[in-house]
Amino acid sequence: MASTAKEKELTYKEVSDSVLKMLEVPTGGWYVQLLICVSLVLVGASCWTYQILTGMSASGKSHPISWGCYITNFVFWVGIAHSGTLISAVLLLFRARFRMSIYRLAEAMTVFAVMTAGLFPLIHLGRPWFFYWLMPYPNQRTLWPNFRSPLLWDVFAVSTYFTISAVFFFVGLVPDIAAARDRAKTFFRKMLYGITSLGWTGSNSQWKHYMAAYLLFAAFATPLVVSVHSVVSWDFAMSIVPGWHATIFPPYFVAGAIFSGVAMVITLAIPLRKVFKLERIITTEHFDAMSKLIMFTSGIVTYAYITEFYVAWFSNNSFERFQFWFRPFGDFWVAFWGMTFCNCIAPLSLWYKPLRTNIAFLFVLSIIINIGMWLERFNIIFTSLAREYIPSAWGGYNFSWIDVGITIGAFGWFGMWMTLFVKFFPAVAISEIKEILPYPLRDKHALHH
Amino acid sequence: MAGDKAVVGVFTYLDDVLKAIAKVKSAQLDFRAYAPFGCPEITEAADEQRSPVRYFNITGALTGLVFGFALAILCSLDYPLRVSAKDVVSIPGFVVIGYECTILFGGLATLLAVLHFCRLPDILRKVGYDPRFTDDKFGIVVSCTGSQSDDVQSTLKSCGADEVQVKDGL
Repeated sequence: MASTAKEKELTYKEVSDSVLKMLEVPTGGWYVQLLICVSLVLVGASCWTYQILTGMSASGKSHPISWGCYITNFVFWVGIAHSGTLISAVLLLFRARFRMSIYRLAEAMTVFAVMTAGLFPLIHLGRPWFFYWLMPYPNQRTLWPNFRSPLLWDVFAVSTYFTISAVFFFVGLVPDIAAARDRAKTFFRKMLYGITSLGWTGSNSQWKHYMAAYLLFAAFATPLVVSVHSVVSWDFAMSIVPGWHATIFPPYFVAGAIFSGVAMVITLAIPLRKVFKLERIITTEHFDAMSKLIMFTSGIVTYAYITEFYVAWFSNNSFERFQFWFRPFGDFWVAFWGMTFCNCIAPLSLWYKPLRTNIAFLFVLSIIINIGMWLERFNIIFTSLAREYIPSAWGGYNFSWIDVGITIGAFGWFGMWMTLFVKFFPAVAISEIKEILPYPLRDKHALHH
Repeated sequence: MAGDKAVVGVFTYLDDVLKAIAKVKSAQLDFRAYAPFGCPEITEAADEQRSPVRYFNITGALTGLVFGFALAILCSLDYPLRVSAKDVVSIPGFVVIGYECTILFGGLATLLAVLHFCRLPDILRKVGYDPRFTDDKFGIVVSCTGSQSDDVQSTLKSCGADEVQVKDGL
């Protein structure tokens, strides 16, 4: 494999030093960030508690937009979770070198984003203590869930995605935790890394089975990347609601999820790189590669938006035609045009190469894209439910402060886990970065790497 | 590992440790090699057999496939409610359940296999393990008898080991 000039300058020790330095004693800034995140979690938890105590009317949910803000958030966070497995598994199978520096962060993002997404169906349930009714468990009434329902497929898809992503994430972490264990100084760190590294030593036997298993995990996780958001899209596409009942939904959702997920990786990687001085490990080439992925998926998303309008017109179905008139010119026009600007127009700037390596610009753009992707889910859910078939059933939505509090709390929840993770576990894959460095050879011609 | 002594060689260069592995193997001594990353050259030189993890993976996946379809079919038959004019046993709808269970069981079986074959968790690390092996050094730990240890030490030194130590017990 060819190496970039910057990678050649790095040694194994420098890689370990740079990454493990992140685990040193937390600074004041880290505590402030954690405090902000925990405060947001408390805001969200208070709102949820209030909703449980007073009923679902505390949120803005009402007929006809009964999926409202919570399912918008659910689809948004599942989408964010998507790119972690794409970057770690799919790019591993394609031998894409740029994944090495960023995949750990993307995997962590996946696991924490699914943990965030998973909260929303529970919040949406109203009586979250009955969540186990979703599971097929033997019960006295011999009632079983409806396996023909996409909502049940979703339970299986999201829980499988979470389990496999968490396993893939943890297995990938083990050798790096062992590296942290061997340098740990405090009793707490020694215990933490001693237990979580499972006694990993990096012997030839361990590496042999590990590498075989890792490739199999990647091969198994790859279909999940396609399946999880396809199944989420079927929550919509399997219904006959105008604007939802479309065969284009699965690829459209998968591309959108990768688009938003890569943007979130950029949002997280830029401050991390700056704070922990990882410029030699996460280089501008990595951002350039991620920008190209954004350009590609933005193109697919834009094409899907156009196709939806074309199909609505070509179908000559008055309900579909009305729905796609309502989106740009109806009550929620701000969301539609905001989405179009954020997801279709703003990413066009990346065709200009200097902007793909302009870190400040990329940070702002990644936030714009994430706002755009939230608006996309808002558009799909709110506009279609607001204008179904019978005009007497049409309606609007009044956001309540409970909706807003829980949405903000979710960002705090996600941020809290990410903040804790980067301080306690290696957020950059030490062993895999070493893998792509030139081998240390006494005889430089002994091996070709 | 057989033998009452463990000779530990610490190496900086990969080609040196590969030479040491070849020599120790040809002397038919039991050994373990260490690397700070998954180095295919070392794993192939030390052990030519492929990992059996893949058999666990495929067994788990097939079990998951059968489980997923069986779960959906048997639950539907136990509570036969026709919904939206779909068959009670509606195979196209159950493909998703079968698919997800295939991946779930395959992944979990692979996890169990990797824990089993890597002998994890292993709280007491093996004799001869050096913390530098997870940092920037390669290593080899050779099991031998007391009478063989001098020869093994000189072999490792001749291959370019930075440091050679002899440890008791295994």
